[in-house]
Amino acid sequence: MTEPPLLEVSQVARTYSMGGLLSRHRVHAVDGISFELPADRPEILTVIGESGSGKTTLARMILKLVPPTRGTIRLRGTDLSSIRSGRDRLAFMRLVQPIFQNPFQAFNPLKRVDRYLFATARRIAGIRTAQEIEAASDQALSKVGLSLTEVRGRFPHELSGGQLQRVAIARALISSPALIVADEPVSMVDASLRMSIVGLLRNLCDGMGVSILYITHDLATAYSISDRIMIMRRGRVVEAGEARAVLDNPQHPYSILLKAAVLSPEPA
Amino acid sequence: MSPPPSTTAAPVLTVSDLRAYYRTSAFGAEREVKAVDGVSFHVGANEIYGLAGESSCGKTTLIKTIAAATQPPLQVVSGTITFQFRDRRMSITDVDLEGLAAIRWKHLSYIMQGSMNVLNPVRRISHSFVDFAFRHVAKPMPEFLDSVRAHLQRLQLESEILDAYPHQLSGGMRQRVAIALATVCRPEFIIADEPTTALDVIVQKDVLGMIKEVQRALRSSLILVTHDLAVHAHVCDRLGIMYAGRLVEEGRTAEIFGQPRHPYTRHLISSLPRIGHVGSGKGLEGTPPNLAAPPAGCRFHPRCSLAMDICRRQNPPLSELSVGHRVACFAVTPESPT
Amino acid sequence: MLRILRDLFRHNREFAVGVVLLTAVLVVAAMSFVSPYPPNDSFVVPPDLPPSWPHILGTTSRGQDVFWQLTCAIRNTLLFGFTVAILSRIFALAIGLVSGYAGGLIDRALMSINDTFIVIPLFPVLVLFYFVLRDSMSWVLLALVMACLGWAYDARLIRSVAMSLRTREFTETSIFSGMSTRQILLQEHLPYVLPIVFSTTMNNINWSIGLEVTLSVLGFTDINTPTIGVMIYWANQHTAMVAGIWWWIAFPVALVVITFIGLFLLAVSMNEYIDPRSRLSRVAA
Repeated sequence: MTEPPLLEVSQVARTYSMGGLLSRHRVHAVDGISFELPADRPEILTVIGESGSGKTTLARMILKLVPPTRGTIRLRGTDLSSIRSGRDRLAFMRLVQPIFQNPFQAFNPLKRVDRYLFATARRIAGIRTAQEIEAASDQALSKVGLSLTEVRGRFPHELSGGQLQRVAIARALISSPALIVADEPVSMVDASLRMSIVGLLRNLCDGMGVSILYITHDLATAYSISDRIMIMRRGRVVEAGEARAVLDNPQHPYSILLKAAVLSPEPA
Repeated sequence: MSPPPSTTAAPVLTVSDLRAYYRTSAFGAEREVKAVDGVSFHVGANEIYGLAGESSCGKTTLIKTIAAATQPPLQVVSGTITFQFRDRRMSITDVDLEGLAAIRWKHLSYIMQGSMNVLNPVRRISHSFVDFAFRHVAKPMPEFLDSVRAHLQRLQLESEILDAYPHQLSGGMRQRVAIALATVCRPEFIIADEPTTALDVIVQKDVLGMIKEVQRALRSSLILVTHDLAVHAHVCDRLGIMYAGRLVEEGRTAEIFGQPRHPYTRHLISSLPRIGHVGSGKGLEGTPPNLAAPPAGCRFHPRCSLAMDICRRQNPPLSELSVGHRVACFAVTPESPT
Repeated sequence: MLRILRDLFRHNREFAVGVVLLTAVLVVAAMSFVSPYPPNDSFVVPPDLPPSWPHILGTTSRGQDVFWQLTCAIRNTLLFGFTVAILSRIFALAIGLVSGYAGGLIDRALMSINDTFIVIPLFPVLVLFYFVLRDSMSWVLLALVMACLGWAYDARLIRSVAMSLRTREFTETSIFSGMSTRQILLQEHLPYVLPIVFSTTMNNINWSIGLEVTLSVLGFTDINTPTIGVMIYWANQHTAMVAGIWWWIAFPVALVVITFIGLFLLAVSMNEYIDPRSRLSRVAA
C-alpha cells in the first residue's frame, strides 16, 4: 500500500459572490487547481502569480482558513473538510504551519513574541515542562540564526522586519511540521535580506525534511530555491513544471511576459 | 542610458551637512533619534539620483526634510538645503509657508510612499487634479483641464480615467495617476519615495518606464528612494547608498554596481537575487544600529569585516575616490587620522 | 504601574486635576464612616441652620447635618454607580467579544437580544419596577436591574472592535500557535478593547448616577437610605428652595457635579494613555 501524498489538491475552486439581490457578480478567485506534494520526498513548490491571481486564496484554503467552494484538499489522505474537533485541528496544525507576509502584522504589537513560541511548543508540539519548552524554542530559533536570549521578552517593534520574519519561521518549525505554507514571506523584507531568508527555507527543506509551499511574485528568489513551480493567473495554472526548466525557458505567453518584466540588478 | 548630465551646470539641489533628528519627550522621558546625521550631496539638472539603503537607514527622513514636509517631532537641527530653480533660489531650511506654497507642485513635487492611497476615494480623478493642482496654475478651468488631458496623453494614460473613481482603478493605475498628478505642473524637481514597492512585477516595469519618460520629457531632476537596488540599476544615473543616517558611498550607477568600494555596498550588491543564479547569499551579521544610541565612529563598524581601530573612534568622511565616486570608509580611502 | 501614574500626574494636567477632584470626593465619602450622626436618624440637630460652625454646610429641615448626610449620600451613590458600571461592563464584554469573534448564527442571535435591550425604554421600565416592588425595592435590586439594562450599547461597540480583530493576521498566528478561543479573546483581543471599556465605564458611572438621582428625586427608590438623589428628594418635599434653605440642594448638586467632572477628566486622560495606537506611536518613536 503506497503512502498517500503529503498534500493532494483536486479540482479546487473558490468563488465569491458579490453584489446585491438584483445584480450578482461572481469572482472566481481560484478556478479548478490540482496538484500534489509527494510524501517521500520533501520539496519546495513555488506558486508564482501577481495580485488577483488567487495564490493567497489557495494558500488560505490549504491552511483551512477558508473552505473551498468545490473540490477537495487532502493532507496525508485526510480530507480537510472532515477535520472538525479541537483535537483533530491541533493534529492538523502539527502538520501544517503558516508564515505570513507582513511580520509586523503577524504578531500582536502589544504582546511579546516569545509568547507565541512557547504557546506553539506547549499546545501544538505538546511539550510539557517549562524547561523543555524553552529548549525547544531555543532550538527552533537557532535553526533560523537567532537565539532565545536575543528574542526573550521582546516586543515586535523592537526587532527588525528580517528578524521578526525569522522568529515567525522559528515558530512554525517548533512542531516539526511536514508542510509549511509561506505566503510571500519576503516581500515586506528589504531586498538585501531576501536571499538569506529564502536560503533559510531551502536549508529547512534539505536539512529538516519540511516541504514548503512558497507563494510569491518574485521570480528571482523562486529561481534560486524551488524544485517545482506553478504559475497562476486569474485563478488558473498557466504553466507548471520543474523550476529551472520553466524559468529558463517559459512557454506560455504570460510566463514569458512575467520573466521579461523582472528587473535584473545590472545597470542598463 | 541617457548621456551624462553636464557637470558644469549649477546643481538644482544642494544639501550641506544636514542633520535632522526626531526629538520626543513624553511623560518625562526624552529621546533623540539621529535619523539623518551629516549628509551632503547635490543633484544636477536633468538627472535621476537614487537613494538606496535598508529600512530605517534615514532615507525617507532625508527626503521629507528636503521636501520641507517635516512635522514635529522631526526637526532640522543643522545644515542647509538649497534649491536653484529656474527663476529663484530657495533655502528650504529657512523658508516660510508662503514661500513653500509658491514652489510646491510648480517647482518641487513629492510622490509619497503609498501614493496610490493619496487619491480621495469619494472624488473622481479629475476632481483630484483640480483639488491638488489647479491653484498653482494661472489658467481658467477649461484650459487647465485641457492641459491635464494633454499631460495624460503624453504619459500614455487614457483620458477616460479622469471620470473614474479611485476604487475602480487597479493599484498600478492609481500609482500612475499619482505620478501624473505630481508632474502636471511640470516641476523642476521631483521626489519619489518607493513608487513601485507595493506593485506587481509587470506593473512595476510599466510604472518605472513612465517615471523615466516623465523625467525625460520635463528634463527635471528626480530623486528616487527605494531599498530595491534592481530598481536603481534600471532607472538612476547616480546612486547614493545610505546607512544609519549617513551616506556611505555615492557615484554613477554603472560604477557602483561594477566596482562597489564600501563593504556595505558590496554586501548589498552581492546579496541581490538574480534569475539564473542559484545559491543563497550569506546574510550580514548583526542588525542596523539603534539610531537613538548609535555606535561611536563609523556606524557600520560593528558589522564590518574590515573594521580597524580607527573605525571605532572616528567617523570616516565622504571623500572622493575617483571622479564622481565618493566613499566613506577608512579601509578603502586610507586617510591620515587627524 | 506607580511610575506610570506618577508620570501621568506630573505631565498631564487633566489627569492631575481629575485625580485631585476624585480624591477629594473619595475623602468625603470615606468620612461617612466617622459620622457622629447615624444617617437615617432625623432631628438630631437644630433644623434649618445656615452654614456655620459646627454645622459647616448647614442643617436640613429634618434636623440633619448637611455635611455628614452628604458624606453618606455620596458614598452610597458612588457605590451604586460603580456596581452598575462593573456589572454591565462584564455583560458587555462577554457578549461583545463572543459575538464579534464567533460570527455567524451566534452573532445574529446575540445581537438580536442586544438590540432588544437597546430599544427598551429605561425610565418607564424602572418606574414600573418600583411600582411593582414598592417597599421591597432595595438598592441592590435596583443596581442589578440597571446593570442588566445598561450593557447593550457598549456590547455593540466592543463587538465591532472584536470583528476587526478577528481578521487581523496575529489572530491567525495565535490560532496556529494552538491558543484556545478563550485565550485569544482574553489575552490577545482584550487589550484592544480595553480603551473602549474604560471610557464607557466612566460614561456608564455618570449615566447610572444620573439615573439614580432622577429616580430618587421623583421618589421612585428607597428613600430611607441617603443618596444624593434622596437628599434632593427630601429637600423638594420640604420645599427647601422656596423656604430659602438653599444649602440643602446646592451642596449635593455641587458635589455630584465635581464627581462627574473628576471622572470625566480621568477617563479622557487615561484613555489617551491606554489607547494602543497612541501607546505604540509613543513606544516606537
